[in-house]
Amino acid sequence: MVKPQDTKGEGPSSGEVTRDLASRIASAQRSRTIEANRASGDGPADKTSLARGMRIGTEFMAAIVIGGILGYLIDLGLNTSPWGLLIMFMMGFAAGILNVTRAVAEMNAASPPPPASKGPDAEDDKRNEH
Amino acid sequence: MAGTDPIHQFVIEDMIPIHLGGDGTAGSGLNFSFTNSSLFMALTVVAISTFVLLASSKRAMVPSRLQLSGELLYEFVANMLRSSAGTEGMKFFPFVFSLFTFVLFANLFGMIPYFFTVTSHIIVTVALAVLVMAVVIGYGFFRHGFKFLKLFVPAGVPGYVLPIVVPIEIISFLSRPVSLSVRLFGNILAGHITLKVFAGFVVSLGTLGALGWLGALLPLIMTVAITALEFLVAAVQAYVFAVLTSMYLNDAVHPSH
Repeated sequence: MVKPQDTKGEGPSSGEVTRDLASRIASAQRSRTIEANRASGDGPADKTSLARGMRIGTEFMAAIVIGGILGYLIDLGLNTSPWGLLIMFMMGFAAGILNVTRAVAEMNAASPPPPASKGPDAEDDKRNEH
Repeated sequence: MAGTDPIHQFVIEDMIPIHLGGDGTAGSGLNFSFTNSSLFMALTVVAISTFVLLASSKRAMVPSRLQLSGELLYEFVANMLRSSAGTEGMKFFPFVFSLFTFVLFANLFGMIPYFFTVTSHIIVTVALAVLVMAVVIGYGFFRHGFKFLKLFVPAGVPGYVLPIVVPIEIISFLSRPVSLSVRLFGNILAGHITLKVFAGFVVSLGTLGALGWLGALLPLIMTVAITALEFLVAAVQAYVFAVLTSMYLNDAVHPSH
Protein backbone atom coordinates (compact mmCIF):
# COMPACT_ATOMS: atom_id res chain seq x y z
CA MET A 1 0.00 0.00 0.00
CA VAL A 2 1.48 3.38 -1.00
CA LYS A 3 0.60 6.23 1.29
CA PRO A 4 -0.55 9.31 -0.65
CA GLN A 5 1.62 11.79 1.28
CA ASP A 6 4.78 9.84 0.36
CA THR A 7 4.41 10.60 -3.33
CA LYS A 8 3.37 14.21 -2.80
CA GLY A 9 5.84 16.75 -4.25
CA GLU A 10 8.94 14.66 -4.94
CA GLY A 11 9.42 11.54 -7.07
CA PRO A 12 7.54 11.31 -10.37
CA SER A 13 5.60 14.33 -11.55
CA SER A 14 2.29 14.91 -9.78
CA GLY A 15 0.32 14.54 -13.04
CA GLU A 16 1.62 11.02 -13.46
CA VAL A 17 0.67 10.18 -9.87
CA THR A 18 -2.86 11.50 -10.41
CA ARG A 19 -3.22 9.45 -13.58
CA ASP A 20 -1.95 6.38 -11.74
CA LEU A 21 -4.41 7.01 -8.92
CA ALA A 22 -7.26 7.51 -11.41
CA SER A 23 -6.52 4.20 -13.13
CA ARG A 24 -6.34 2.45 -9.77
CA ILE A 25 -9.69 3.93 -8.73
CA ALA A 26 -11.20 2.87 -12.06
CA SER A 27 -9.97 -0.70 -11.73
CA ALA A 28 -11.21 -0.89 -8.14
CA GLN A 29 -14.63 0.36 -9.24
CA ARG A 30 -14.72 -2.16 -12.07
CA SER A 31 -13.98 -5.06 -9.76
CA ARG A 32 -16.58 -3.74 -7.34
CA THR A 33 -19.36 -3.63 -9.92
CA ILE A 34 -18.45 -7.16 -11.04
CA GLU A 35 -18.67 -8.23 -7.41
CA ALA A 36 -22.01 -6.47 -6.95
CA ASN A 37 -23.47 -8.03 -10.08
CA ARG A 38 -22.39 -11.46 -9.02
CA ALA A 39 -23.83 -10.97 -5.55
CA SER A 40 -27.20 -9.89 -6.94
CA GLY A 41 -27.14 -12.70 -9.50
CA ASP A 42 -26.62 -15.30 -6.82
CA GLY A 43 -30.29 -15.08 -5.92
CA PRO A 44 -31.27 -13.33 -2.72
CA ALA A 45 -33.98 -15.67 -1.53
CA ASP A 46 -32.10 -18.88 -0.83
CA LYS A 47 -28.44 -19.17 -0.04
CA THR A 48 -28.35 -22.84 0.83
CA SER A 49 -30.00 -25.86 -0.70
CA LEU A 50 -31.24 -26.78 2.78
CA ALA A 51 -33.16 -23.53 3.02
CA ARG A 52 -34.48 -24.07 -0.51
CA GLY A 53 -35.77 -27.53 0.35
CA MET A 54 -37.36 -26.34 3.58
CA ARG A 55 -39.03 -23.50 1.71
CA ILE A 56 -40.62 -25.77 -0.89
CA GLY A 57 -41.68 -28.33 1.71
CA THR A 58 -43.37 -25.84 4.02
CA GLU A 59 -45.06 -24.00 1.14
CA PHE A 60 -46.63 -27.25 -0.03
CA MET A 61 -47.63 -28.48 3.43
CA ALA A 62 -49.06 -25.18 4.62
CA ALA A 63 -51.49 -24.91 1.70
CA ILE A 64 -52.86 -28.44 2.28
CA VAL A 65 -53.26 -27.80 6.02
CA ILE A 66 -55.03 -24.50 5.41
CA GLY A 67 -57.29 -26.08 2.78
CA GLY A 68 -58.23 -28.89 5.16
CA ILE A 69 -58.96 -26.50 8.03
CA LEU A 70 -61.08 -24.26 5.80
CA GLY A 71 -63.06 -27.26 4.54
CA TYR A 72 -63.61 -28.51 8.07
CA LEU A 73 -64.84 -25.07 9.17
CA ILE A 74 -67.20 -24.91 6.17
CA ASP A 75 -68.56 -28.34 7.15
CA LEU A 76 -69.06 -27.21 10.74
CA GLY A 77 -70.87 -24.07 9.65
CA LEU A 78 -73.03 -25.44 6.82
CA ASN A 79 -73.48 -29.07 7.98
CA THR A 80 -72.25 -30.37 4.63
CA SER A 81 -69.93 -33.02 6.01
CA PRO A 82 -67.87 -34.49 4.37
CA TRP A 83 -68.05 -32.53 1.11
CA GLY A 84 -66.47 -29.28 2.32
CA LEU A 85 -63.45 -31.08 3.73
CA LEU A 86 -63.04 -33.25 0.62
CA ILE A 87 -63.31 -30.40 -1.88
CA MET A 88 -61.26 -27.89 0.07
CA PHE A 89 -58.60 -30.51 0.76
CA MET A 90 -58.19 -31.00 -3.00
CA MET A 91 -58.19 -27.21 -3.45
CA GLY A 92 -55.48 -26.98 -0.82
CA PHE A 93 -53.51 -29.55 -2.77
CA ALA A 94 -53.83 -27.44 -5.91
CA ALA A 95 -52.83 -24.32 -3.96
CA GLY A 96 -49.80 -26.20 -2.64
CA ILE A 97 -48.72 -27.01 -6.20
CA LEU A 98 -49.27 -23.37 -7.11
CA ASN A 99 -47.14 -22.24 -4.14
CA VAL A 100 -44.34 -24.61 -5.10
CA THR A 101 -44.33 -23.55 -8.76
CA ARG A 102 -44.27 -19.90 -7.68
CA ALA A 103 -41.44 -20.47 -5.22
CA VAL A 104 -39.39 -22.35 -7.82
CA ALA A 105 -40.10 -19.70 -10.46
CA GLU A 106 -38.83 -17.06 -8.01
CA MET A 107 -35.69 -19.09 -7.37
CA ASN A 108 -35.09 -19.55 -11.10
CA ALA A 109 -35.64 -15.85 -11.76
CA ALA A 110 -33.25 -14.98 -8.95
CA SER A 111 -30.45 -17.10 -10.39
CA PRO A 112 -30.77 -17.36 -14.18
CA PRO A 113 -28.56 -19.93 -15.92
CA PRO A 114 -25.43 -18.54 -17.58
CA PRO A 115 -26.19 -17.36 -21.14
CA ALA A 116 -23.73 -19.83 -22.71
CA SER A 117 -25.65 -22.88 -21.54
CA LYS A 118 -28.97 -23.52 -23.21
CA GLY A 119 -30.33 -25.51 -20.30
CA PRO A 120 -32.93 -28.27 -20.40
CA ASP A 121 -35.70 -25.88 -21.50
CA ALA A 122 -33.98 -24.81 -24.73
CA GLU A 123 -35.50 -27.63 -26.74
CA ASP A 124 -38.97 -27.00 -25.33
CA ASP A 125 -38.78 -23.34 -26.30
CA LYS A 126 -37.83 -24.29 -29.85
CA ARG A 127 -40.78 -26.66 -30.04
CA ASN A 128 -43.16 -24.01 -28.75
CA GLU A 129 -42.07 -21.58 -31.44
CA HIS A 130 -43.33 -23.84 -34.22
CA MET B 1 -31.29 -38.19 32.71
CA ALA B 2 -32.43 -34.59 32.97
CA GLY B 3 -29.02 -33.40 31.77
CA THR B 4 -29.34 -34.90 28.31
CA ASP B 5 -33.08 -34.53 27.79
CA PRO B 6 -33.11 -32.92 24.33
CA ILE B 7 -36.30 -30.93 24.78
CA HIS B 8 -35.75 -29.73 28.33
CA GLN B 9 -34.12 -26.61 26.87
CA PHE B 10 -37.50 -25.41 25.55
CA VAL B 11 -39.34 -25.46 28.88
CA ILE B 12 -40.90 -22.12 29.78
CA GLU B 13 -40.51 -21.22 33.44
CA ASP B 14 -42.17 -18.40 35.32
CA MET B 15 -39.60 -15.99 36.67
CA ILE B 16 -42.04 -13.43 38.09
CA PRO B 17 -45.48 -15.09 38.35
CA ILE B 18 -48.35 -12.70 37.56
CA HIS B 19 -51.74 -14.42 37.49
CA LEU B 20 -54.96 -12.44 37.05
CA GLY B 21 -58.36 -13.87 37.92
CA GLY B 22 -59.06 -17.59 37.93
CA ASP B 23 -59.81 -19.83 40.88
CA GLY B 24 -56.29 -21.04 41.56
CA THR B 25 -56.49 -24.24 39.48
CA ALA B 26 -53.98 -24.70 36.69
CA GLY B 27 -54.94 -23.04 33.42
CA SER B 28 -57.66 -20.77 34.81
CA GLY B 29 -57.51 -17.00 34.65
CA LEU B 30 -54.98 -14.93 32.74
CA ASN B 31 -51.27 -15.59 32.95
CA PHE B 32 -49.09 -12.52 32.48
CA SER B 33 -46.05 -14.05 34.15
CA PHE B 34 -42.61 -12.81 33.20
CA THR B 35 -41.00 -16.01 31.88
CA ASN B 36 -37.56 -16.95 30.65
CA SER B 37 -38.97 -16.48 27.15
CA SER B 38 -39.98 -12.90 27.99
CA LEU B 39 -36.57 -12.28 29.50
CA PHE B 40 -34.78 -13.29 26.31
CA MET B 41 -37.18 -11.33 24.11
CA ALA B 42 -36.42 -8.29 26.25
CA LEU B 43 -32.69 -9.03 26.09
CA THR B 44 -32.91 -9.34 22.30
CA VAL B 45 -34.59 -5.95 21.99
CA VAL B 46 -32.10 -4.38 24.42
CA ALA B 47 -29.16 -5.86 22.49
CA ILE B 48 -30.50 -4.59 19.14
CA SER B 49 -31.25 -1.13 20.52
CA THR B 50 -27.84 -0.85 22.18
CA PHE B 51 -26.08 -1.97 19.01
CA VAL B 52 -27.94 0.39 16.69
CA LEU B 53 -27.76 3.35 19.08
CA LEU B 54 -24.03 2.89 19.70
CA ALA B 55 -23.37 2.37 16.00
CA SER B 56 -25.21 5.55 15.06
CA SER B 57 -24.09 7.75 17.99
CA LYS B 58 -20.78 9.03 16.52
CA ARG B 59 -21.97 9.76 12.96
CA ALA B 60 -18.37 10.02 11.84
CA MET B 61 -17.55 10.73 8.19
CA VAL B 62 -14.94 7.97 8.36
CA PRO B 63 -16.86 5.23 10.16
CA SER B 64 -15.45 3.19 12.99
CA ARG B 65 -15.82 -0.58 12.90
CA LEU B 66 -18.98 -0.42 14.99
CA GLN B 67 -20.55 2.27 12.84
CA LEU B 68 -19.55 0.39 9.69
CA SER B 69 -21.22 -2.81 10.89
CA GLY B 70 -24.38 -0.84 11.65
CA GLU B 71 -24.29 0.74 8.21
CA LEU B 72 -23.76 -2.66 6.60
CA LEU B 73 -26.82 -4.01 8.39
CA TYR B 74 -28.87 -1.02 7.25
CA GLU B 75 -27.68 -1.29 3.63
CA PHE B 76 -28.32 -5.02 3.60
CA VAL B 77 -31.96 -4.73 4.68
CA ALA B 78 -32.54 -1.63 2.55
CA ASN B 79 -31.24 -3.32 -0.62
CA MET B 80 -33.27 -6.44 0.08
CA LEU B 81 -36.49 -4.48 0.58
CA ARG B 82 -35.86 -2.18 -2.40
CA SER B 83 -35.18 -5.08 -4.76
CA SER B 84 -38.35 -6.96 -3.82
CA ALA B 85 -40.89 -4.23 -3.01
CA GLY B 86 -39.54 -1.26 -4.99
CA THR B 87 -38.92 2.28 -3.77
CA GLU B 88 -42.52 2.58 -2.62
CA GLY B 89 -41.99 -0.37 -0.31
CA MET B 90 -39.24 1.52 1.50
CA LYS B 91 -41.84 3.05 3.83
CA PHE B 92 -41.94 -0.39 5.47
CA PHE B 93 -38.21 -0.29 6.12
CA PRO B 94 -38.49 0.19 9.92
CA PHE B 95 -40.90 -2.76 10.08
CA VAL B 96 -38.74 -5.13 8.02
CA PHE B 97 -35.55 -3.99 9.75
CA SER B 98 -37.09 -4.64 13.18
CA LEU B 99 -38.34 -8.08 12.13
CA PHE B 100 -35.01 -9.06 10.57
CA THR B 101 -32.87 -7.94 13.49
CA PHE B 102 -35.26 -9.44 16.05
CA VAL B 103 -35.25 -12.86 14.40
CA LEU B 104 -31.51 -12.72 13.73
CA PHE B 105 -30.56 -11.70 17.26
CA ALA B 106 -33.03 -14.15 18.84
CA ASN B 107 -31.61 -16.99 16.73
CA LEU B 108 -28.03 -16.05 17.53
CA PHE B 109 -28.83 -15.63 21.23
CA GLY B 110 -30.13 -19.19 21.13
CA MET B 111 -26.68 -20.39 20.04
CA ILE B 112 -25.12 -19.27 23.33
CA PRO B 113 -25.07 -22.18 25.83
CA TYR B 114 -27.73 -22.03 28.56
CA PHE B 115 -29.63 -19.33 26.69
CA PHE B 116 -33.28 -19.75 25.80
CA THR B 117 -34.21 -19.69 22.10
CA VAL B 118 -37.24 -17.48 21.65
CA THR B 119 -37.90 -18.49 18.03
CA SER B 120 -38.07 -22.20 18.92
CA HIS B 121 -41.64 -21.66 20.14
CA ILE B 122 -44.23 -21.64 17.38
CA ILE B 123 -46.40 -19.09 19.19
CA VAL B 124 -43.65 -16.49 18.79
CA THR B 125 -43.11 -17.13 15.09
CA VAL B 126 -46.86 -17.28 14.44
CA ALA B 127 -47.25 -13.91 16.17
CA LEU B 128 -44.56 -12.44 13.89
CA ALA B 129 -46.11 -13.99 10.75
CA VAL B 130 -49.64 -12.85 11.66
CA LEU B 131 -48.27 -9.35 12.25
CA VAL B 132 -46.79 -9.40 8.75
CA MET B 133 -50.06 -10.58 7.21
CA ALA B 134 -52.05 -8.00 9.19
CA VAL B 135 -49.79 -5.25 7.84
CA VAL B 136 -50.10 -6.60 4.27
CA ILE B 137 -53.90 -6.83 4.40
CA GLY B 138 -54.33 -3.59 6.31
CA TYR B 139 -52.07 -1.55 4.05
CA GLY B 140 -53.45 -3.26 0.92
CA PHE B 141 -57.02 -2.23 1.73
CA PHE B 142 -55.94 1.21 2.96
CA ARG B 143 -53.94 1.93 -0.19
CA HIS B 144 -56.06 0.24 -2.89
CA GLY B 145 -59.48 -0.23 -1.30
CA PHE B 146 -61.37 -3.15 -2.80
CA LYS B 147 -58.99 -3.24 -5.76
CA PHE B 148 -56.70 -5.09 -3.36
CA LEU B 149 -58.92 -8.13 -3.92
CA LYS B 150 -57.54 -8.25 -7.48
CA LEU B 151 -54.68 -10.09 -5.81
CA PHE B 152 -56.90 -13.17 -5.89
CA VAL B 153 -57.85 -12.80 -9.57
CA PRO B 154 -54.86 -13.42 -11.82
CA ALA B 155 -54.84 -11.32 -14.95
CA GLY B 156 -55.75 -13.01 -18.25
CA VAL B 157 -57.74 -15.88 -16.79
CA PRO B 158 -61.05 -16.67 -18.59
CA GLY B 159 -64.18 -16.16 -16.51
CA TYR B 160 -65.36 -19.76 -16.39
CA VAL B 161 -62.27 -20.99 -14.49
CA LEU B 162 -62.46 -18.21 -11.91
CA PRO B 163 -64.63 -20.26 -9.48
CA ILE B 164 -61.75 -22.74 -9.24
CA VAL B 165 -58.82 -20.32 -9.45
CA VAL B 166 -60.03 -17.80 -6.86
CA PRO B 167 -60.40 -20.30 -3.96
CA ILE B 168 -56.99 -21.73 -4.82
CA GLU B 169 -55.48 -18.25 -4.75
CA ILE B 170 -57.18 -17.53 -1.42
CA ILE B 171 -55.87 -20.74 0.11
CA SER B 172 -52.44 -19.95 -1.29
CA PHE B 173 -52.60 -16.50 0.35
CA LEU B 174 -53.82 -17.90 3.67
CA SER B 175 -51.08 -20.52 3.70
CA ARG B 176 -48.38 -17.84 3.69
CA PRO B 177 -48.35 -17.07 7.43
CA VAL B 178 -48.40 -20.80 8.15
CA SER B 179 -45.39 -21.60 5.97
CA LEU B 180 -43.60 -18.43 7.13
CA SER B 181 -43.91 -19.31 10.82
CA VAL B 182 -43.55 -23.10 10.56
CA ARG B 183 -40.34 -22.77 8.55
CA LEU B 184 -38.59 -20.56 11.11
CA PHE B 185 -39.87 -22.54 14.10
CA GLY B 186 -39.12 -25.92 12.50
CA ASN B 187 -35.57 -25.05 11.51
CA ILE B 188 -34.64 -23.67 14.91
CA LEU B 189 -36.39 -26.41 16.91
CA ALA B 190 -34.97 -29.27 14.82
CA GLY B 191 -31.48 -27.80 14.86
CA HIS B 192 -31.41 -27.34 18.63
CA ILE B 193 -32.76 -30.83 19.29
CA THR B 194 -30.21 -32.40 16.92
CA LEU B 195 -27.43 -30.49 18.58
CA LYS B 196 -28.54 -31.59 22.03
CA VAL B 197 -28.96 -35.24 21.01
CA PHE B 198 -25.46 -35.42 19.56
CA ALA B 199 -24.00 -33.64 22.58
CA GLY B 200 -25.86 -36.15 24.77
CA PHE B 201 -24.18 -39.04 22.92
CA VAL B 202 -20.81 -37.63 23.91
CA VAL B 203 -21.78 -37.72 27.60
CA SER B 204 -23.35 -41.20 27.56
CA LEU B 205 -20.48 -42.74 25.57
CA GLY B 206 -17.94 -41.02 27.79
CA THR B 207 -19.15 -43.03 30.82
CA LEU B 208 -18.26 -46.35 29.11
CA GLY B 209 -14.50 -46.24 29.72
CA ALA B 210 -11.64 -46.09 27.23
CA LEU B 211 -13.51 -47.55 24.27
CA GLY B 212 -16.39 -45.18 24.96
CA TRP B 213 -14.02 -42.23 24.96
CA LEU B 214 -12.85 -43.27 21.51
CA GLY B 215 -16.43 -43.65 20.31
CA ALA B 216 -17.42 -40.31 21.84
CA LEU B 217 -15.03 -38.62 19.47
CA LEU B 218 -17.41 -39.11 16.53
CA PRO B 219 -20.46 -37.36 18.02
CA LEU B 220 -18.13 -34.67 19.37
CA ILE B 221 -16.95 -33.90 15.82
CA MET B 222 -20.59 -33.94 14.69
CA THR B 223 -21.52 -31.52 17.48
CA VAL B 224 -18.86 -29.06 16.35
CA ALA B 225 -20.00 -29.37 12.73
CA ILE B 226 -23.69 -28.98 13.60
CA THR B 227 -22.92 -25.94 15.74
CA ALA B 228 -21.37 -24.29 12.69
CA LEU B 229 -24.36 -25.33 10.59
CA GLU B 230 -26.75 -23.91 13.19
CA PHE B 231 -25.05 -20.51 13.00
CA LEU B 232 -25.62 -20.61 9.25
CA VAL B 233 -29.26 -21.66 9.70
CA ALA B 234 -29.81 -18.90 12.28
CA ALA B 235 -28.67 -16.24 9.81
CA VAL B 236 -30.29 -17.78 6.72
CA GLN B 237 -33.68 -18.21 8.39
CA ALA B 238 -33.70 -14.61 9.58
CA TYR B 239 -32.83 -13.60 6.03
CA VAL B 240 -35.51 -15.81 4.45
CA PHE B 241 -38.11 -14.45 6.89
CA ALA B 242 -37.22 -10.88 5.96
CA VAL B 243 -37.10 -11.57 2.20
CA LEU B 244 -40.51 -13.24 2.20
CA THR B 245 -41.89 -10.39 4.32
CA SER B 246 -40.75 -7.89 1.72
CA MET B 247 -42.21 -10.02 -1.09
CA TYR B 248 -45.58 -10.12 0.68
CA LEU B 249 -45.36 -6.36 1.27
CA ASN B 250 -44.77 -6.04 -2.47
CA ASP B 251 -48.20 -7.66 -2.97
CA ALA B 252 -49.72 -5.02 -0.71
CA VAL B 253 -48.03 -2.20 -2.63
CA HIS B 254 -48.65 -3.59 -6.13
CA PRO B 255 -51.59 -6.04 -5.84
CA SER B 256 -51.91 -7.01 -9.52
CA HIS B 257 -49.42 -9.63 -10.62
